[in-house]
Amino acid sequence: MGLISGTLLSSNEEILYTIPIMLLIIPALNSLIGDISTVLVSRLTTHLYVGTISPKIQKSERLKEDFYGLFITILLSLASLLFLGYLTGIVLGIEIVNPFLMIIIIIITILLIFFVMFITLFIGAIFLFKRGMDPNNFLIPFLTSLADFLTPLFLILFIIIFI
Amino acid sequence: METQDSKRKIIKETFPSEIISIIGDLLAGIVLSVLILPFDSFIVLILMIPALLSLRGNLSGPFIARTSRDLVIGNFSKRTWIENVLASYTLSIITAFFIGLFSIVLNLTIFKLTILSFQYYLTIPIISIILTLSISIPCSTGLNYVAFKRGLNPNNVVNPVMTAIDDFSTVFCFFLTIIMLGVP
Repeated sequence: MGLISGTLLSSNEEILYTIPIMLLIIPALNSLIGDISTVLVSRLTTHLYVGTISPKIQKSERLKEDFYGLFITILLSLASLLFLGYLTGIVLGIEIVNPFLMIIIIIITILLIFFVMFITLFIGAIFLFKRGMDPNNFLIPFLTSLADFLTPLFLILFIIIFI
Repeated sequence: METQDSKRKIIKETFPSEIISIIGDLLAGIVLSVLILPFDSFIVLILMIPALLSLRGNLSGPFIARTSRDLVIGNFSKRTWIENVLASYTLSIITAFFIGLFSIVLNLTIFKLTILSFQYYLTIPIISIILTLSISIPCSTGLNYVAFKRGLNPNNVVNPVMTAIDDFSTVFCFFLTIIMLGVP
């Protein structure tokens, strides 16, 4: 999956050369979505084992609390990342093409992946748990690779569409 | 209790770790965009970097977890640590070799570039990951030990800090490797 992600970046090298700020923040974006998803999987697994979430695909207060907690965390982290990333870019003299549009693209990308991850991982955790498997062991390596692949994919896709 | 955490508690505990992680990853981004981007062979080099970052995560995570476990259950000794280190190095060399091999295949089938000779595809990931682990292993062992001695749970403390250190060191060691090998 890492090599697929590399292939994606490599075959869109002109975007990386024209929008170098992307290279600056891609590792942090990958890490952000990976970290938040890992926290989600660990929490879901614990809830399933302890019984605070029933192994059914349905809404619950506990799930909503986790969703809003992680959603606010990802928004705060994203704001910090954009602030620090742009500040670093300005200090290092890295050209920032269409700064506001790039911010919107990054926010849409991360939120879209967060929603996809939340739904996929919730369904995946219940599916695995019902079959007697530990969701941590299967979903964490899977989500890390998925995040590494989806982040550059959606970023490049939105850049091609909007810029 | 994790099962009773309110959203406020989730934010309070997760957000500071994320800030540390973001700072480390931005440093990795600086190395990428300032030091590696100007290389003529950038198009080929960028192919390997995400795979090396994933590999680092998949090796370092279990290493940290095993060391934490040994410390917590009182099983930590020079012998268990050396076994753990050797396992991590062996696995990293084998996987890095395959990253190089698959990069060659991808280049031959998709990119068809002749900027780099095949020996670089194999040596860059191997040397790079060995250098990275040589920074990561002493750092994570030291952090694990200090956290444990101070009565903290190493599992909660060491991972976010090491993610930041490791992501930066992976990209920086990659840069050092291509300089050492004289990659164009």
